Amino acid sequence: MLVFAASPAHAHKLKVFAAPVGAQIEGSAYFVGGGPARGARVVVETTGGQPLVTLQADEEGRFAYSATMRADQVIVVDAGDGHSARFTIAAGDLPESVAPPPGMPAPAAGVPASPVAAAQAGVPLEDLVGQAVARQVRPLREQLNAYEDQVRLRDIMGGIGYILGIAGLTMWFRSRRREGAGG
Amino acid sequence: MAHIPDGVLSAPVLIAGGVASAVLLGIAVRRLDYDRVPQAAVLAAVFFVASLVHIPIGPTSVHPLLGGLMGLVLGWAAVPAIAVALLLQAVFFGFGGLTVLGVNVFNMAVPALLMAALFRPALRRETRPRVVFALGAAAGGVTVVLTAALVCAALAASGSEYVPALGIVLLSYGPLAVVEAVVTGAAVTLLLRVKPELLAVGGVVDA
Repeated sequence: MLVFAASPAHAHKLKVFAAPVGAQIEGSAYFVGGGPARGARVVVETTGGQPLVTLQADEEGRFAYSATMRADQVIVVDAGDGHSARFTIAAGDLPESVAPPPGMPAPAAGVPASPVAAAQAGVPLEDLVGQAVARQVRPLREQLNAYEDQVRLRDIMGGIGYILGIAGLTMWFRSRRREGAGG
Repeated sequence: MAHIPDGVLSAPVLIAGGVASAVLLGIAVRRLDYDRVPQAAVLAAVFFVASLVHIPIGPTSVHPLLGGLMGLVLGWAAVPAIAVALLLQAVFFGFGGLTVLGVNVFNMAVPALLMAALFRPALRRETRPRVVFALGAAAGGVTVVLTAALVCAALAASGSEYVPALGIVLLSYGPLAVVEAVVTGAAVTLLLRVKPELLAVGGVVDA
């Protein structure tokens, strides 16, 4: 029974989840219905496909890196056996202290983005709040992500319904053709 | 693992798989015996749901493929059944990518057709339950191994970086082949007992 208790090395769908905490982006790669993607290769790319960072997931499928620019970035995980998955981090989720990508104008100085910042007239506090919120929201995001993975009854019933519908259409098509040939 | 996701295979492999599957599908639809449609639909539904059944074996978890059973019962009609079920799995469950659909259909359909050509004639004449079980088991087991080999071939053709992991992939299919052999053998034996005409009727497969 010990063999059966071992966590699965691969099921059939790899997923990756990541969220920024401040400028640090932490994520994990795992198999749906299975265990973590140990030692998977993680490549962070720009939306244009240009690689930014290459990492390797640890024993628990976790990885972390610091965002070097405030732009949408795609995390591509490859388990090496034909499983791969991607996850996009939106630029808006990164704090404003991270430099914008070259060619993009920096946010105009002196125009604070929020009332809090305006009141404090200092960016660090806003970053701190952002980090704290990110830390609080992270479990929720993870849960939401896991919820998305679940195959629900309506998916199953929907699929079976489609199959029966296609079969019915095929039969109908045939009976119509036959009638046409007969009469 | 018979579900290869998007973004893994190279474009030539995707195109070749798509074209090959389209050709197979065309032949299958042209040869379709319409009396087989209800059976094809039922087996497609079973195949569609079977991918959700995780069987933990050793260090990995697998799910039944049922390609052998579909081939034995449906013959050519297995191709549209597999294609429809795989498409719906991709859409509803996110198993396997849509661009890879051609390759995935090919990997499942070709072993099923081969099993139909190899075992159906013998199965049609056979009435001894033990022999029927053995034939079904052989078809079920060989289908899994063939599908695994095709998956590995598709990966190897797409990039050399997958080659080191292929041994592990093939190994993980070993236990599944055994499970699938038993399931297919039992299913065929049951069909012979309660509904022998399911195995006997239908056009001869001379693939």
